Amino acid sequence: MLRRMELLLEEVDGKTQLSSPGVGLFTLAVETGRVLTTGMGAGVLDSLGTTYQLVVPEGVIGRVVSTPPVRLRAPVGYGTLLYELEPLTTAVMQDELAPVLPGGGKSSVLAVRAPHSGRFWHRPAPGEPPIVKEGDLLGEGTAVGLIEVMKTFTHLHYASGGPLPNKARVVRLVAGDGDEVLEGDPLVEVEPL
Amino acid sequence: MFHRLLIANRGEVAVRIARACRDLGVSPIGIASKADLDASWVEAMDEVVAIGPPAASQSYLNATAIVQAARQTHSSAIHPGWGFLSENQRFASLVRQHGIAFCGPSAAAMRTMGVKSSAKRAMDRAGLDVLPGSDGPLPNVEAAAACGNEIGYPVLLKADYGGGGRGMRLCHSEAELREAFGSARAEAESAFGSGAIYLERYLTGGRHIEVQVLCDSYGKGVHLGERECSIQRKHQKLIEESPSPVLSAEEREAIGERAIEASLAIGYTSAGTIEFLRDDDGKLYFMEMNTRLQVEHPVTELVTGIDIAKKQIEIAANRPLGLDQADVRFEGSAIECRINAEDPTQDFRPSPGRLKAFAFEASDGPGQLRVDTHLRAGDEVTPHYDSLLAKVIAYAPTRPAAIETLRSALSNAKVEGVHTTIPLHLAVLESEEFQRGDYDTRSIPGWTGKAN
Repeated sequence: MLRRMELLLEEVDGKTQLSSPGVGLFTLAVETGRVLTTGMGAGVLDSLGTTYQLVVPEGVIGRVVSTPPVRLRAPVGYGTLLYELEPLTTAVMQDELAPVLPGGGKSSVLAVRAPHSGRFWHRPAPGEPPIVKEGDLLGEGTAVGLIEVMKTFTHLHYASGGPLPNKARVVRLVAGDGDEVLEGDPLVEVEPL
Repeated sequence: MFHRLLIANRGEVAVRIARACRDLGVSPIGIASKADLDASWVEAMDEVVAIGPPAASQSYLNATAIVQAARQTHSSAIHPGWGFLSENQRFASLVRQHGIAFCGPSAAAMRTMGVKSSAKRAMDRAGLDVLPGSDGPLPNVEAAAACGNEIGYPVLLKADYGGGGRGMRLCHSEAELREAFGSARAEAESAFGSGAIYLERYLTGGRHIEVQVLCDSYGKGVHLGERECSIQRKHQKLIEESPSPVLSAEEREAIGERAIEASLAIGYTSAGTIEFLRDDDGKLYFMEMNTRLQVEHPVTELVTGIDIAKKQIEIAANRPLGLDQADVRFEGSAIECRINAEDPTQDFRPSPGRLKAFAFEASDGPGQLRVDTHLRAGDEVTPHYDSLLAKVIAYAPTRPAAIETLRSALSNAKVEGVHTTIPLHLAVLESEEFQRGDYDTRSIPGWTGKAN
């Protein structure tokens, strides 16, 4: 399980700045143009063997206008600027926000979602068959894939609750094999039985 | 030798170690809290990692963040300086666990010397004189009273994990001891997380004399003579000098030899200081060992010509000491004044602020002047950390010449924007007692509480 740590928040000239709350190596940065809101995971900080999910603090919503660091595992210090956000205009469509808002917003898509950011894998090792495929039945505890964070692979299990029923059928794999995903992103679309 | 060394400290000591790094061709890497990021001292570093918010507990005391900073800057050594984590054995272990060299002794030596009763026992076994007292912590008030009656009053109750006078009680009788025991224990418990209390005979007055040792990792060590630091206020040293005006050459040699033998007996490595209290009969009792570089190390460097900070880094890099005791020569006299941002006329109230002027001009006295500082005019003295502004050190062939050099330097110093302890230093340097070398830890000669 990842520990969570809130990003530092500062308002500068109408722009919201989110910076690193600690010293470490920063990965899985959210890309330019994506929308960040309170409670979302926005990258990962590795500090002396402990991995922290960086979380967007209270009262923040905006679109990332800064570019992610060029280096993979970029060394950062306390207060290093990680994201610059511009305020959202009303023109932003609900659709765009829906998948990232807690609870799914208007999202009608019933899906198993990423519990934190990382890389989503369909198969346990290259060359092996995918853990689930279209049409498979999912019940409490069925494995649906792997999430990789900092070279650590964790099985992701189907868990009912919220919109997800006790049993479901896989409609399609939304996230590709090896895709970088953010917290709350749909991974496997399902339908109730 | 290391390519890059991370200095886990700030201010004056960080600048001092950066200078030692440059001399050795090592690249100094700094850390700075948010309050220090714009300070001018960070310019002494090749790279600086922002380590945390201003509070020391989240920045200069954050062991994990510091070791991570060393890793991501590819530093292969850490120097802890003094204060902060410099005597924390868990930090030393964490550093070494991550394959980084630690400029200091082994964690085991730090642990033995960090607990007062175990340090006392180890040094007693290694042949140093210790003040008569309880063997280790006292289990209860009855044991304390029995021990007090046996060694005779006055006695001092001390916290085993203590420092800075907390948990310390002076007792002149059994009745006083019985009354003080409970509160001393409670105070130690809340301040240091351990209520372990021990007792020893109280020495009235006495002079604070300490011996500098240097030991390499091949079992070789030398002593660099003594420093006298009897001019103190509330256990904080104000003026230090080497040689001490009271020790004879034979006494110096004898205590130096015993100090180095005791250090080698406990397997000590790196630079260390053994502190003694000298009674009126000239007997030196072991007080404690500081397992790090000390603030007052420059006076020893001036009289011996040996760079202690550089030696520490070399020892950490597993270089042999390259010195025999016969190579260590003592020449001349050095005196250091610690200039703090405090108002000595207002009970030493801290005085942070912006320095409008900050200059120590070359002295017109007979000797040389060394000024160790991290500040210049225009800098801010922050309220977050200690109040040391500079150490002004005079070196001359004789003690009177050193005093005169220092007096002249301090009376011409231009420091504006904050209050400083310079008036106190001038009063001491001008006092007859200090000039005669006749002083002890009880009083500050010449200082009446008012500037002249």
